[in-house]
Amino acid sequence: MVHERNIYKPIKSKLIEVIDESPLIKTFVLIPEEEFSFRTGQFIELSVDGIGEAPFTPSSSPQVKDKLEVTVMRTGYVTEYMHNLKPGAYMGIRGPYGRGYPVESFFGKEVLILGGGCGLAPIRSLLYALEHVKDKLEKVILCYGSKTPSDCIYKPLFNRLNSIEKFEAYRTVDKADEEWNESVGVATKLLDKIKIDIKNSVAVVCGPPIMMKFGTIRILEMGYKDEQIYLSMEKNMSCGLGKCGHCMMGEFFVCKDGPVFTYNELKNTPDIWK
Amino acid sequence: MNYLIIDKEEWDRFLGNLILSHNVFASVTDEFGQDYELIRPENIPDICYNKPKPATPLKSFFLPVKENVTSGKHSDKPRVILGVPNCDIEALKILDEFYLDKEFTDIFYKNRRESTLLISSDCFGIQEHCHCLSYNIKPYSTDTADLAIAYLNGKIALRVISGKGEDFARSITASRPAGDNTIASAIEKEHNATEALLAAANKGLPDSKKTGKLVMDAGEDVWKKHSARCVSCGACTTICPTCTCFLLIDKPGFEKVKQLDACQYPGFERTAGGEDGLFELSVRFRNRYMCKYAWKSAKFRSTACTGCGRCIEACIGKINKNEIFMELAKS
Repeated sequence: MVHERNIYKPIKSKLIEVIDESPLIKTFVLIPEEEFSFRTGQFIELSVDGIGEAPFTPSSSPQVKDKLEVTVMRTGYVTEYMHNLKPGAYMGIRGPYGRGYPVESFFGKEVLILGGGCGLAPIRSLLYALEHVKDKLEKVILCYGSKTPSDCIYKPLFNRLNSIEKFEAYRTVDKADEEWNESVGVATKLLDKIKIDIKNSVAVVCGPPIMMKFGTIRILEMGYKDEQIYLSMEKNMSCGLGKCGHCMMGEFFVCKDGPVFTYNELKNTPDIWK
Repeated sequence: MNYLIIDKEEWDRFLGNLILSHNVFASVTDEFGQDYELIRPENIPDICYNKPKPATPLKSFFLPVKENVTSGKHSDKPRVILGVPNCDIEALKILDEFYLDKEFTDIFYKNRRESTLLISSDCFGIQEHCHCLSYNIKPYSTDTADLAIAYLNGKIALRVISGKGEDFARSITASRPAGDNTIASAIEKEHNATEALLAAANKGLPDSKKTGKLVMDAGEDVWKKHSARCVSCGACTTICPTCTCFLLIDKPGFEKVKQLDACQYPGFERTAGGEDGLFELSVRFRNRYMCKYAWKSAKFRSTACTGCGRCIEACIGKINKNEIFMELAKS
């Protein structure tokens, strides 16, 4: 009995590098002490020993098996502690949990990705996964918005994406500085300038709740059908196992039935943007 | 139905021996009311039979309020729980769906389930808020428990339900099969009488086919009105035999402590970013009804309300969910 897998027990993971992405956002590079792999869009519970844990979607490529990158915005009690950790420390991971992006169902299609703020973390993992299968895709367009140029994370990513065949990446900021020479305005504004075959396309939205809401509304206005839109939902997920009840959204457990849902699955659920 | 018969004195003697090898808990009546107690030689005579529910829901035996789920130990001593009403036995079905699901099995729950023998007690009579029958649940067990017990005319009658129950019954050497239908007929008469009491006490109460739609259709005004007396104490969820929400708390050494939680507590859904879908009292109050009668019934095979009535008894704001359903059915 005691030899059965304990679903609550974390895997100890060594922190080997901390990358500053923006004043509020850091990426933690971890080496798990046990074999660990995930599908893009799945999430993990990341813990600081004795302090607490919180759910994050890895931002690294699912093809990379020996290490894991998790991008964390300093927002509350646990993330404050995470931001103070130095390489050499140990963190705990549980997972991977939930349903990620159905990458195979994107084959033969154009993929539109709308992201905001720290929502680019799961998207970066998705972009790596899509790059891995780019021969099977028609096109990938990323539209990303952040508050200011200094809040824009993964700065080298955009040039790299624009150098990959079939990939296009656009950025915007709510408030520009003198050096900013790209778009200014909310992320949905970027959707006005892209060319995409909506009928043969899927849209992925990931970002803060307000952006998710208005991004989805705009994408529906563009002509996307409910089942063509994939939303990465964010809730207070304590267990990740579909048991603790904290992430219930209508009849769904976001941790187990999601975190990736089609808009079609959620559209009749009340208060999904709260 | 087939019954095994044991004289009451023999049964008490059997229990006296059973407690040497098992932790036996039974429903006992004393000056504080009716609740489970660990059975010792001196309280065997206080065990009550065929009375409706004890104060504590059965879930407390399988889901402690607080436990270490990383280094916690499993108990080696097998356990017998005697006198479980069928509303609590039915409640175990949804807990099994949660905790024994194949993908993420909770080994602590599984161990407790496997090392526990459940002897259900047929209810002969009802308490003020009992309404199991309205949700299609009988006041006696026919599955999920291992055995069912009835005490009539100085005799203990055992109805075998599971294979585990059969093995247990076989170990009672003083038992004998009921020779004729006398005891079965007498018990059936009690079952029918209890069902008649339940039906009379809950006349007009919407059944489980209607409750989901009623809560989904209820407007904001309904929830605002009824939640006005709610103080978010969480008594209704704590005492509910199916409510199972919990929080994982971190302890040094990457240990996790699992603690019972409740959607009725402020901040239950709050994220670090500040979003809180259940911030408003009326929304939080409505959440419990939606969860029990609409969402869980869409997702699980088992019911999330077994009509035990404990939430009505426990509410310090005197909120009676049956009165709310009666009101919803009328409007």
